[in-house]
Amino acid sequence: MLFSLLLLTAATAQASVLTLNAPRVTTYNANGEGIRTELLKLTEKPRVPLAVGPTESLKVTFQVVEEGSDPIKGVQPLQTFLRFYDPETDEEGIQPLRTTPAGKSKFELNMAKPPMSIPPTTNSSVLQVTLIVGAPNHSPLKIDLFDLTLPESHPPTQHPDEASFHLLPTIEHTFRAPQKLPPRPISALFAGLTLAPWAILIGLWSQVFPGAPHLFSPSIFPFTATLGAFEVLLVWYWVELKLGQVLLYGGILGVATLFTGKTALASIGARRVGRK
Amino acid sequence: MPPKPAPTAAAPSSAVQTLWKAYNEQTSDRLKFIDAFLVFLMFSGIVQFAYCVLVTTFPYNAFLSGFGSTVGQFVLSASLRSQVNPENKNEFKEVSPERAFADFALGSIVLHFFVFNFLG
Repeated sequence: MLFSLLLLTAATAQASVLTLNAPRVTTYNANGEGIRTELLKLTEKPRVPLAVGPTESLKVTFQVVEEGSDPIKGVQPLQTFLRFYDPETDEEGIQPLRTTPAGKSKFELNMAKPPMSIPPTTNSSVLQVTLIVGAPNHSPLKIDLFDLTLPESHPPTQHPDEASFHLLPTIEHTFRAPQKLPPRPISALFAGLTLAPWAILIGLWSQVFPGAPHLFSPSIFPFTATLGAFEVLLVWYWVELKLGQVLLYGGILGVATLFTGKTALASIGARRVGRK
Repeated sequence: MPPKPAPTAAAPSSAVQTLWKAYNEQTSDRLKFIDAFLVFLMFSGIVQFAYCVLVTTFPYNAFLSGFGSTVGQFVLSASLRSQVNPENKNEFKEVSPERAFADFALGSIVLHFFVFNFLG
C-alpha cells in the first residue's frame, strides 16, 4: 500500500514539468544602448548567433514556471546553471545563477569584466549556451538557449614555474683536459739533471769514503742484507705487491732485521769501545 | 780543536776559504761521507722542485713523493750526523752512534714505505 503511494507520488512529481516564461536575451553596447534583443523560443535557437564585442555586454532574463499553470506559477529551483560549451575545443564553463522565490533570474555578461566561468575562446569559436534547471518535485529542465560568439580570450598568463615543466637540456659533463707530458727534450734534460746529483754523490764519496773493512763480516753482513731486502721489498711493493702482503713480509723481515741489527750494532759497538 | 779565529779585515772570500780549509782539516771522513749524502739530497730536491716550478707538476703525487723523500731523508741524515758527531758527545750522552744508526735505519725504512706507497 505504502509502496503504491510512493509510486503515485513519484508519478505526480514526474508530471510537474518546468518551463520558462519570457526568456529574453539582449546585447548592449558600451553606452548601455541595446543592440539586439531576442525573445527566446524553447524549441529552437536563434539562427544567427549573438555576438558580444570587447566593450559590449549581454543580459539574459527568464522566469522558471510550472508548465501549464494558470495563473502562471513561478518556481524557485534548487539549482540553476548556464553552461557555455565550445564544441570546437571541447571547453566548457558553468555559471550558477540566483533565482528569486518567484522563479525570476537574470545573467549579465560584461565583456570588460568577463566571469571566470566563460571558457577560453578563439576567433572562430561559437559557444553553445544551455540553461540547466533542477528542482525537487519537478523534472530537470535543459534548454539550448542560443549560440554566442565572443572576442578571442587573452592567452593564459605564463606561470612563473613554467620553464621548470619542460625538458631541460641534457647535462653534459665536461672533464678536465688530460695532463700533457712535457716535450721529450725537456723531459730528457730534467731526467739528466735529476740524475746529476748521483754523479756528485759518487764523486764526493770516492773522495771521502771512510772505508768499511768489516762490511762483509758474518756479524754485520746479515744486517746490511736485511736492510737491502727491505728496500727490495718496497720496490716490489711499488711494482706488484698489495699493502697487506707488504705489511706481512715487512713484519717478518722486521723481526729478522731486529736480530741482525742487534748483533751487527753490538759487534760494532764492542769494536768501537775496544778500540778506545 | 776549536777553529782558528779569522782575521777581522779579511775579505769574505777569504773567510769562505778559511771555513772550507777548517772543514777539510777538522772534519772526519765519516762525517764528510754523511755531508756528501746531504749535498746529494739537497741538489736532488732542488732539481725536482725546479722541474715542478718550471715544467709541470704532473704527475703531482710522484713529485710530492720524490721531493718528500729527499726532504725526509735529509732530515734523518742530518739528525744522524749531529748524533754521531764527536763534537756533540755531551749533548747526546745516552745515544751511542750505533743507536743513532739504528734510528736512522728504522726512520728511513718507514719513510721509504710512505714514499713508495705514495709514488703511484
